[in-house]
Amino acid sequence: MTVLEAVSLTKRFGPVTAVDGVSFGVGEGEIVGLLGPNGAGKTTTLHMVLGLTTPDSGTVRMFGRDLARHRTWALSRVNFAASYVSLPWVLRVDELLDVFAHMYGLRNPRRQVAEMTELLDLGELRDRRYGQLSSGQQTRVQLAKALLNEPGLLVLDEPTANLDPDVGDRIRELLLREAHRTGRAMLITSHNMPEVERMCSRIHFVSGGRIVATGSAVELAGAYGVDDLEAVFLRVARG
Amino acid sequence: MSQLVLDGAAARRRRIASVIRRDFFALRRDPPRMIDMVFWPTAELVLWGLVSMYLQQNRVHIAVAMLLGAVLLWQVLHRAQGEVTFGFLFDVWSRNLLNVFVSPLSTLEYVAGLVLASVVKVTATIGVMSVLAFTLYGFGVLTIGPGLVPFMAVLMIMGWALGIVAIACVIRFGQSAQIVAFILVFVFQPFAAVFYPLSVLPGPVQAVAALVPASHVFEGCAGSWPAAASRGTGWPQPRCSTSGTSRARSPSCSTRSATPGRGASCRSSARRSRRPS
Repeated sequence: MTVLEAVSLTKRFGPVTAVDGVSFGVGEGEIVGLLGPNGAGKTTTLHMVLGLTTPDSGTVRMFGRDLARHRTWALSRVNFAASYVSLPWVLRVDELLDVFAHMYGLRNPRRQVAEMTELLDLGELRDRRYGQLSSGQQTRVQLAKALLNEPGLLVLDEPTANLDPDVGDRIRELLLREAHRTGRAMLITSHNMPEVERMCSRIHFVSGGRIVATGSAVELAGAYGVDDLEAVFLRVARG
Repeated sequence: MSQLVLDGAAARRRRIASVIRRDFFALRRDPPRMIDMVFWPTAELVLWGLVSMYLQQNRVHIAVAMLLGAVLLWQVLHRAQGEVTFGFLFDVWSRNLLNVFVSPLSTLEYVAGLVLASVVKVTATIGVMSVLAFTLYGFGVLTIGPGLVPFMAVLMIMGWALGIVAIACVIRFGQSAQIVAFILVFVFQPFAAVFYPLSVLPGPVQAVAALVPASHVFEGCAGSWPAAASRGTGWPQPRCSTSGTSRARSPSCSTRSATPGRGASCRSSARRSRRPS
């Protein structure tokens, strides 16, 4: 089953075409990476996929339904976390999760908050304010928020940016474990090539608002005649 | 998924509740916000109360009820706008807006949550102010009677509308437009004729003021504060009643009312009495 289907997405900001006819899909249980240099159009593409930005042309279908027409239905089955997004720093961890459990219309918010608190090992942090936590702890809270509604599609925009290698590794481990446990689909952007190689079964390289290459890490490295994804990235970024 | 997530009206209620819960959790954890809710309105009340006291002591005839009533009702408009706008700005400042907008919460539900939370907070603010006004100046806001309900409703609705306009400006023009949230309500203050009668305004400005809902409230209130609204302080009673008519704007009426100790039951005299002369 196709969880996400983006068809010919185009977005212009004045004279600049940020995204130019991008099409891709994410299947059930699949982890797809969206890579590219800064300003390539990755985040704009993610924002169109999440209904934050309206495309000038093209469509987004989620779980077989048009996002524009079934926004509430679709977004209650999706969740999102990004390194550049924060959460209200004055709220305690348990209050934050409670708020988002209500925001996603969960039938039993308390139970779901308790489950995520356990899954992300947040028990000791639950009565601490978000603003008092370290970057790694904040990322765990963001992931708990992103998993609250047990989304069919998890969209992560540079989820491990700003984290030290140890914490970053633990987060990747956790995401992979969750993906295998639940069969959840993920769409990830990252500038960490080893992370993408490890996590993503399929990678789309975006440059100048277009998808310029698609494949697994091994396939892409082969196609560009290089050893790893980082070398592919450099080739794409430098034209 | 269907077992995990509610749908229909129950889901809508829960999503709206999330905005209200967020607002009250934030209020509980952020004492400066709580102080802000009560401090500025109280400071304004005390200030204007002292001004009216001073004027009375210097035989400048002024209705205490008019002034304190205006201060109180102005706070309804001011706080209603502020609470809605700052509920939104809280998400902007905490970089949480994206999380809100990628959730199933619709724009309408988000605004509904902000508005409902503001009802509680404005009511709390006005409650505290009313108790203070009664304790310090013997001014009872409830003595206006059932008329208070529509007056407050109009001011709240106008405050929410201004709050939504301020939010729209920030969304459209970015964070640099936040200044709109702080000044928008004050742009309307001169037209609302909070502390003076509409007749003071120049003709063309009066026409603009007629388009501002708050001006009708403050003009209407001027004739509605009963003499009993202010008592127990030993000050002269305000000389106004609800029996004002357009005929009462005659010069003879205002002359009578301006004489201390002679109660005049006309609306214009009451409005004039609010102007230090």
